[in-house]
Amino acid sequence: MPNTVDKALNLLRFLPRVCLANIRDNPGSRRGPRRGRAQHGGDKHGAGNKGSGQRQNYMRIGYETGNNPFYLRFPWEPYYKGHHLKRQYPPLSMLDLQKMIDLNRIDTSKPIDLVAILNTGLYKLFPDQHQFGVHLTDDGADIFDAKVNLEVQWANELVVAAVERAGGVITTAYYDPHSLQAMLNTKKFFERGIPIPRRMMPPPDAIEYYTDASKRGYLADPEKVSEERLVLSQKYGYKLPKIEDDPDYEMLTERKDPRQIFFGLDPGWVVNLRDKVILKPQEEELLKYYAS
Amino acid sequence: MNTLKSLGIPTYNAVYNSLFPNLLKRTVAYKSALSLNNLYPNSSLKLTTLSLPPKHGNEKFSGYIPIEELDITFSRSSGPGGQNVNKVNTKVDVRFHLQSAKWLSDEIKEKLSEKEGYLIYKSDLTRSQQLNLADCLEKIRSSVRECLIERAEPSPETTEKIRRKLERAAKERLLIKRQRSQLKNDRQAPQVVL
Repeated sequence: MPNTVDKALNLLRFLPRVCLANIRDNPGSRRGPRRGRAQHGGDKHGAGNKGSGQRQNYMRIGYETGNNPFYLRFPWEPYYKGHHLKRQYPPLSMLDLQKMIDLNRIDTSKPIDLVAILNTGLYKLFPDQHQFGVHLTDDGADIFDAKVNLEVQWANELVVAAVERAGGVITTAYYDPHSLQAMLNTKKFFERGIPIPRRMMPPPDAIEYYTDASKRGYLADPEKVSEERLVLSQKYGYKLPKIEDDPDYEMLTERKDPRQIFFGLDPGWVVNLRDKVILKPQEEELLKYYAS
Repeated sequence: MNTLKSLGIPTYNAVYNSLFPNLLKRTVAYKSALSLNNLYPNSSLKLTTLSLPPKHGNEKFSGYIPIEELDITFSRSSGPGGQNVNKVNTKVDVRFHLQSAKWLSDEIKEKLSEKEGYLIYKSDLTRSQQLNLADCLEKIRSSVRECLIERAEPSPETTEKIRRKLERAAKERLLIKRQRSQLKNDRQAPQVVL
């Protein structure tokens, strides 16, 4: 049976190396620019016949030949009021997260927080554009199969159910823009030589979300969260895995303090990367401030 | 000599050295004023797995269904949807044997048992398998709760009223029937008996 692939590969053995001299574009893929001369390109020069098209004297944008135009009919439109000030959470699908885990871009033996997701380089965040963190979407929730300790900024019920069904733990936590800037480029932040700041509390319209156990908020009571875990397992119809019997229980329940930005580093510390030293405050006033 | 400290400027002492990392090992984790043990002093702060929901009073059905005792199968849904509906198993079929179900009381079993054997609940409401499973469970719960609703029986006065109405209606119907039959009879030629 003549195998076309084998034939082609045999040919390839004897053909010369590909270089600019022996390749060309597919015919018709590139059309040269039309100059304003001769039959094609000349004559009316793409401006058509008469009218404002040829005479280049257009009416202003939005003008409706006399009647009250759409853009002037409504004195105000409250639908978009404050839209430029609202908090944004750029999405990350569960499918993407599963891919990152499968391709060893994220280490599941440690807690996964925003820093870990940013360090993969695949997820970008811009805090100066009112972006406040990761919104884990439910696209790929039915195939999610990794036992993780996840900390995101926004997650809906189906996502929480998918993570807990796989035997993991998910928490939603808030980070203020200054903390986010520090987390984005941690090395650059340490090189500034300033003490690690305290993480600020969520704004008033977000406090309800982050203190809610059903949303797995970081300020919610873990006992209530345990009850909600059962509720969700009953709603979505899966058997709740026993995390207390899991050998990774300690890793799965590891959490940051609400004022902490990085795991293992307290607010107030100065990290000196060059001398490989951490400087901690000793003054009582400072200690009191950073522990408040 | 005025040291920085005496001047009131905050000072730092190097306490951690990378050459001797275990010299001053941390034993106490950082705890701020907003830490969970300050927010919830009476809580154990442990994440546990509850097997049954906490009981609230004398309700007959709490909504708890043991998922292990249900027979769940997935299949492809019907309707439009192209490649997705042809390939993805979004339809959910939940079955369980009614009489041998330990999580339902006898009262509920009696009211649910119209047919012998298995009860089947199906759902292909949404495009997601998980949401369809949730819909099936919700159907089970709502059918159980419907059984437990106590319908108010009508009072003796109402039953008497209804009985009288039915009797009157029957009388009226028979009267009309008789009149009709008489009319038909009158159209025939009279039978003379000599």
